[in-house]
Amino acid sequence: MEHLIVNFIHIDMSTALQIVLLGFIGGVLSGFIGSGGAFFMTPGMMNLGVEGVIAVASNITHKFGKAMVGSHKHGEAGNVDKKLALYVLVSAVIGIQLAVFINSLLFKGGTGHGASKGAGANLYISLVFTLILSVVALSMLRDVLKNRGKGDDDSGPSRQIADALARLNLPPMIHFKVADVKVSLWILLLVGIATGYLAGTIGVGGFIGVPAMIYVFGVPTAVAAGTELYLAMFMGAYGALSYAFQGFVDIRLTMLMYLGSLVGIYLGVYGVKVVNERYIRMVTSLIILLCVISRAIAIPMYLRQLGLIDMDPGLDVYFNNISKFFLFASGISGTLLILINVVRSYRQRRKIQKSIRVVKSSSSKLSLGVE
Amino acid sequence: MPIVLISSSPHGSGRELAQNLAEKTGWTLYSRDQVVEKAYETGIRLSRLETSIIKSPVIRENLARERDLYLALVAKTICETATDGNLIYHGRAGHLIAPGIPGVLRVGLGSTLEMRIDRVMKQLNLPQEKAREYLEKLDEDIEKWIRYIHRETSRNALAYDLFLNLQHMTLENASTILYETAILKDFRLTLEGRNKLDDKCLAANAKIHLARNPETSGMDLGIRAVNGAVTVTYMPRQEVSAASISKALRGLKGCRENICTMAETNILWIQESFDPKGENFDQVTQLAKRWGAAIELLRLDSEGKEIFLNHGLENSQSGPRSSQMDTGGVEDDDIDTGYEDKGLSETVEELVAIGRSAGGFSISGAAREVIDAVKDNNNYSLIILGNLFLSKGHETSTRLTRELGLELKEKLKAPVITSGELHSRFLFGKKQAFKLLGYVLATFLIYWLVFSFQDPILNILGGELHSKFKWAASIGIALFVPVVAYVYSTVTGLVLKIVDID
Repeated sequence: MEHLIVNFIHIDMSTALQIVLLGFIGGVLSGFIGSGGAFFMTPGMMNLGVEGVIAVASNITHKFGKAMVGSHKHGEAGNVDKKLALYVLVSAVIGIQLAVFINSLLFKGGTGHGASKGAGANLYISLVFTLILSVVALSMLRDVLKNRGKGDDDSGPSRQIADALARLNLPPMIHFKVADVKVSLWILLLVGIATGYLAGTIGVGGFIGVPAMIYVFGVPTAVAAGTELYLAMFMGAYGALSYAFQGFVDIRLTMLMYLGSLVGIYLGVYGVKVVNERYIRMVTSLIILLCVISRAIAIPMYLRQLGLIDMDPGLDVYFNNISKFFLFASGISGTLLILINVVRSYRQRRKIQKSIRVVKSSSSKLSLGVE
Repeated sequence: MPIVLISSSPHGSGRELAQNLAEKTGWTLYSRDQVVEKAYETGIRLSRLETSIIKSPVIRENLARERDLYLALVAKTICETATDGNLIYHGRAGHLIAPGIPGVLRVGLGSTLEMRIDRVMKQLNLPQEKAREYLEKLDEDIEKWIRYIHRETSRNALAYDLFLNLQHMTLENASTILYETAILKDFRLTLEGRNKLDDKCLAANAKIHLARNPETSGMDLGIRAVNGAVTVTYMPRQEVSAASISKALRGLKGCRENICTMAETNILWIQESFDPKGENFDQVTQLAKRWGAAIELLRLDSEGKEIFLNHGLENSQSGPRSSQMDTGGVEDDDIDTGYEDKGLSETVEELVAIGRSAGGFSISGAAREVIDAVKDNNNYSLIILGNLFLSKGHETSTRLTRELGLELKEKLKAPVITSGELHSRFLFGKKQAFKLLGYVLATFLIYWLVFSFQDPILNILGGELHSKFKWAASIGIALFVPVVAYVYSTVTGLVLKIVDID
């Protein structure tokens, strides 16, 4: 029997540092955007030569541990609706199982037909990634641009879908105490399966789960984020177990990602506190769009490997490098934009702290000033 | 003299009962319809707020401001209308409009759906089925409104002092019962109640005043008034407008002094007694400085003793406090509050001096009273429970504190910790330094083991060992990864705590 060990990459110092950097950027983006950061880390690892399925498996395992720590903190703050998470989880397992099945099938199907091993899975992951995240990024960007200059009143995201779904009243309706919402079981199942499928396919679950909970279910933002992390913990555990059973998890990659991501996530969260919402959404959509372009550029390479198009194999290296360039450009520029704001605000806060002087006064005097 | 707040379902005879009582007693009658009219005059976009709440439960920040303004207007209207101490108010969630004011009678009115359908059929000339649909939809929408505006549900029995079921009672008899209840000593507005009402009125006036002032409108402000002193917290990004807040509040009726504090967030600190020289004070202020937070103090008399020494005395002769203090000039800061302070004002003074005060106030009671007192101003990042239930034994005190914490956490949706946990959770000391050292060593050990023995590790992940022991290998990975995440996240958390990014 052929062992999967041959698919694990050799990790030298340079590769290790690049993975740590991927983790850091993914962490900053994850903390800033509120998703898992997989949209950056998964293709990033693929660009380093990691097989798509191993990149997804290692990333979902990474997400599992991270979600466990994060959901514990959210739980302490009362932001986790365990009942809601349980309902979504049950349906998400179906979605994950479907994703693992398709990925494994495509990975194994790559052999014996002249196609490069893993190319089928790589192509499939890249296509799903490009399609889903294009929709997310373009909707977000359209929303930001449409509302530009309309002032504070229209700064929120579009609620057209939410309003339409809020009017649906498909029984049985289930009440969730912590989130304080009533949701149709059918909508719950649909969202759960979609979340699970995307988490299992491209390691991106939060992109669907969090907005769905906020806009479709009407859950408060903090509870949506907390519940998603709680959910991600179980989905991650299930995904990790499933992929580990198939022999696709490389814990070295997972551990190297942690080195960067667990620092980056703190900085990203801090960034959210100091940057305005329009800016957050603008930066987020541009980062995702660049990631999508990066992944789309790699598609012809996989098509050639599968024998679906006729292309000089020598061009693979150029496609790979251009794809890598876009990915790193998106991550690094996005992270720099966030970090500049974090540092600026941190310094400003320090400065203000030092300069505060207080005058307790009656109503005829100024009460507090900043020197 | 009583303030009676009546709440009923739509078309549930609330208006008729209130009118009947008003005719019987001659007390001032006020309805929500009049508040709505005032809201439009004030420029509050109530219909937009209502539509938004009904259509989608996701409310934007600017609508949250609209909500706060609406609540301020209701409070201002009630306080101003009840100047002689007599008021009957009826309307949507009427029983929830004056939370935390002792001596107010909160009445719920129940009638069957069939009775209400009959009324709608007559009033709106609708067929029975349409009338039923109309009422069911209306009830659902109003429940959403109550949840968003008052953070409460109409079904909470503890929110009512009296609930009358009209199914087996005439309106006349219900009115008589209501009158007999309203004149009981328990529902007379005490000095404590009146002062709280005046403070509520002052805070509401300040909120509306600042919202209408062109220089301060649109700012995210936390406003509380205690004994005529208005404390305003504002965000650091609004620093340039800070002077305008103080300027705008000068001369505001009833405002003895104003304190403006710049804060990114608020910390609520609840104790029975405060000491600005104590260890807890240092720890809480240290945390507030790191977070850029303002601290709001709540002195909780958990024994339920009346804080005001002259509580229970009817205060109709003395008149509302605001009328005594509307000169707008400099007043004596040390007004005789007449209650046991237990270090509260001294601690507030100290917080003002270091620019961290979000005000301080006292209440008596338990979780329900705390929630009522703070829910309108609820944007706390942390609630700290200090020394509470001191007269009980240690075990009982610990249990009661824990129960209070759980209830506050559930209702106010904010993290709650005890002052004992404060240092280990949020601050960095010797203990944390040792912890950091331990976890750094553990992290090094884990990473060294994995990267020094890559071949056997890879064998477990996808090699021969994996083929033989697939389940054991998968479970091993699923157990190992969270341990790595936990150990390393503890290290990063502690390191970032040192540099004040947490």
